[in-house]
Amino acid sequence: MSVASPARTARPARIDFSQPVLIAFAAVLCVLIALPLSWLVYFGFTDRTGAFTLENFGRLLADPAFVEPLLITLVIAISVGVICCLVAAPMGWLVARTDMPFRRTVRMLVMASFVTPPFLGAVAWELLAAPNSGLLNQAYRALTGASPDRHLFDIYSLPGLIFVIACYTMPYVFVLVSNALDRIPGDLEDASAILGGRTADTARRVTIPLVLPAVLAGALVAFLQAMTLFGSPAILAIPAGFHTMTTKIWSLFHYPPKPELAAAASLPLLLLTVVLLRAEHAILGRRGYSVVGGRQSDPRLVRLGALKWLALAFCFVLLLNPIFLPYGALLNAAFSRVASQVLSPGNFTLHNIEFVFFELSATKLALKNTFLLGVSAATIGTVFALVIGYVTARKAVTHWRALEFLATAPVAIPGIVLGVGLFLSYSRAPFILYGTLWILLIAFVTISLPAAYQQLQSAFRSVHSELEDASRILGATRLRALAGITAPLLRTGVIATWCFIFVGVIRELSAAIMLFTSETKVVSVLIFDLNESGDLAAISVLGIMMLVITFAVVILANRIPGFSGGVRLRDA
Amino acid sequence: MASVELQGLTKRFGALAVVDDVSLRVDHGLLMCLLGPSGCGKTTTLRLVAGFIEPSAGKIRVGERTVSTPGRTLPPEQRNMSMIFQSYALWPHMTVAENIVYGLRLRKVDRETIANKLAAILATTRLAALIDRYPGELSGGQQQRVALARAMIVEPETLLLDEPLSNLDANLREEMRFEVRRLHDQYRYTSIYVTHDQAEAMTTADLIAVMNAGKIEQVGTPEDVYDRPQSEFVARFIGSSNILKGRNLDDFRIEFAGIPLRCVGIKLAPGAATSVSIRQHDIRFIAAPAETAENVLSGKILRQVFLGGSRDYMVELSNGTQLRVVAPAGENIAPGTSVWLHLPAERCRALAR
Repeated sequence: MSVASPARTARPARIDFSQPVLIAFAAVLCVLIALPLSWLVYFGFTDRTGAFTLENFGRLLADPAFVEPLLITLVIAISVGVICCLVAAPMGWLVARTDMPFRRTVRMLVMASFVTPPFLGAVAWELLAAPNSGLLNQAYRALTGASPDRHLFDIYSLPGLIFVIACYTMPYVFVLVSNALDRIPGDLEDASAILGGRTADTARRVTIPLVLPAVLAGALVAFLQAMTLFGSPAILAIPAGFHTMTTKIWSLFHYPPKPELAAAASLPLLLLTVVLLRAEHAILGRRGYSVVGGRQSDPRLVRLGALKWLALAFCFVLLLNPIFLPYGALLNAAFSRVASQVLSPGNFTLHNIEFVFFELSATKLALKNTFLLGVSAATIGTVFALVIGYVTARKAVTHWRALEFLATAPVAIPGIVLGVGLFLSYSRAPFILYGTLWILLIAFVTISLPAAYQQLQSAFRSVHSELEDASRILGATRLRALAGITAPLLRTGVIATWCFIFVGVIRELSAAIMLFTSETKVVSVLIFDLNESGDLAAISVLGIMMLVITFAVVILANRIPGFSGGVRLRDA
Repeated sequence: MASVELQGLTKRFGALAVVDDVSLRVDHGLLMCLLGPSGCGKTTTLRLVAGFIEPSAGKIRVGERTVSTPGRTLPPEQRNMSMIFQSYALWPHMTVAENIVYGLRLRKVDRETIANKLAAILATTRLAALIDRYPGELSGGQQQRVALARAMIVEPETLLLDEPLSNLDANLREEMRFEVRRLHDQYRYTSIYVTHDQAEAMTTADLIAVMNAGKIEQVGTPEDVYDRPQSEFVARFIGSSNILKGRNLDDFRIEFAGIPLRCVGIKLAPGAATSVSIRQHDIRFIAAPAETAENVLSGKILRQVFLGGSRDYMVELSNGTQLRVVAPAGENIAPGTSVWLHLPAERCRALAR
């Protein structure tokens, strides 16, 4: 150390590139989010000549063709919210806090229903419970000898639609509740017990009050999902002869298109989403689960005794609906000569697979587009989330809050609304992107940004900022510290984020349905098209392939050490 | 050869001035301790020096260079400083050796020099056996030594230490204090050391700057701040003192508990009120006093605690003031006993603030 070293001499000042880079990202974000929203507002408040008017909203409120979908949407959303809480909250408790057997399996199965695209579930339930051809109705007639015009279930109905939406919304509530329960330290319950609280007292006075905010938040999220969902209502409500808000907005683009009405109808949906998300934030934010100080002990599990088998049966019966029955129906249809016949050696066929992959001309293109979009959206989205996550976690620029707001704002934009906004923005000069894959790419990046951002921001927070500071004080620039220190430490989080964006993109339908053209079809849109032409067997083949890819990617992401799953996927 | 100088340094977060008009000079090769309770702004001051944050007012000079002013702050990587962090901030994905030589690699030092310096610093910090370990495989004390080695191998102009020992257990902390001082004596980097532990400051520092609420209360050698506190805060915070408040009688005496109390320190302004500090172990129990005795008070023992080497008494005076007195353990005075206390005048320091 006594050697005179070149390190002593002051090194020449280097330019810090981080500021311009950050400003560029902020600008792109602004365009990404502000542009479609401003066009929405503009169209909503103008007539065809471009003059200011409130007439669009007036028509919306006066015309029963709009009021009815609005009311139906509210009925669906409220019912789904209530059903999900009644069903998923007890399930979350059973899994997190009792000694019920197969808790891990139940968790995994719920996660499986989480990643199942809801529109695929809707198609599967067509196979199961269409009034005439539905497998369950056939079974009912076979068992009871009822006449061929009798049926037990009709999925093409409001209750049917509510049921199917609830099946695939339930996991949101389940995840919120079981996570909240996981995070309540056992000490809190033990403290109640040592003071004389019996199990029931402790549950009533400690556990339930602590978890109630999560249940409420879950109800709101379920409401939101049901309200903004496009695929299931489009598949089940339209044949039944009614519309929800999302399908109504979509139908406004059918010839002759009425973009001003679509914009006007989108704005209330947007507003309601923002309000509900703020409510969720307020509910979860106030009492919070941040339990301060001390080492946390594992919770003690409630002993159910013999009841545990009953509890398990309860869970499995519930999981029949989103998982076992639909998956069975899809497999059945994929390998059966007639989609609505039960598979037997007599009608087994591989023709459906051959048809989808070799005869159906649209498949190859849709697969290529989906793959291309999935990979690029995941890559771009991850890079964006990484940069913004860094800036906000480290408060690296003065206006980091604005960046955070921009990155999380899309969560409040329902897919269909974003689709309308992007259509309005990019189907006219100066940016004509409609008809290209670019517009879909923009949609997918925007949609996946909030979840990716939250994921990576918390990853950044887990890397102590002093690790970077140490690198900088030893002579590394900000970018160098990021590349040499932070990036390697974040690797697992980055891979996981990429995977989840990819999975989210291949199942996206509601924005894609507004933006695709015949050359830019993706697999989810192809499935939707095949449903309109009644080709359920082909859907089953495509759907199973989608599920296999999805599960492969999810399992891969969960295998990465140091990463705990649970990224919130948007609904298609 | 660089000194570090803070001139009127201020950092506001919103309306709150966390660092409030701090001026301080650390001459080359000295180790300055910023000592104060948590939240007093000492870590913010250190991060201002490092360049992680920009001052709201004032400036920081290193040698002849001005490195921080509002609006123009040299980034940390260009300051030729090193820092030891409270969390150690060892990179978990690099081995001990990789962690230590990181700064040299950035400086594009050639392989051979790196190897030589690494060997030297490993010997000094007694880490040679651990070079291939990852930080997660080290004990707290070992991690601490790696952090020291990593900071010092680049031969910084200025070394910054942010509560470097606060994560260690008591025994190790004591050992590492001397280690830090030994390494400082060996290399003589201009150092700023932030701590809230006065024993740590006493052991390591050439100079101590006591901070409170964003301001510097007093700067001096450890003897200065301990023996000659200038403010009530310093008297209470460094060691622990009894504070006696009374009205000034003349230039050197205050009236306290009915007697004139002679004290030293500052010249008193007659008529004003002054606080006087006296250390707990400077107060003596005496037998019945002579008529002419000065600074003698009567009181009653409230309680006592046996501390092994000494006894810690709480004594209540006739005016209700409670004093803590630390006396040799050999003499055992039972609670309830009436006693005489002698407060030697040369130990009673009148405080300016």
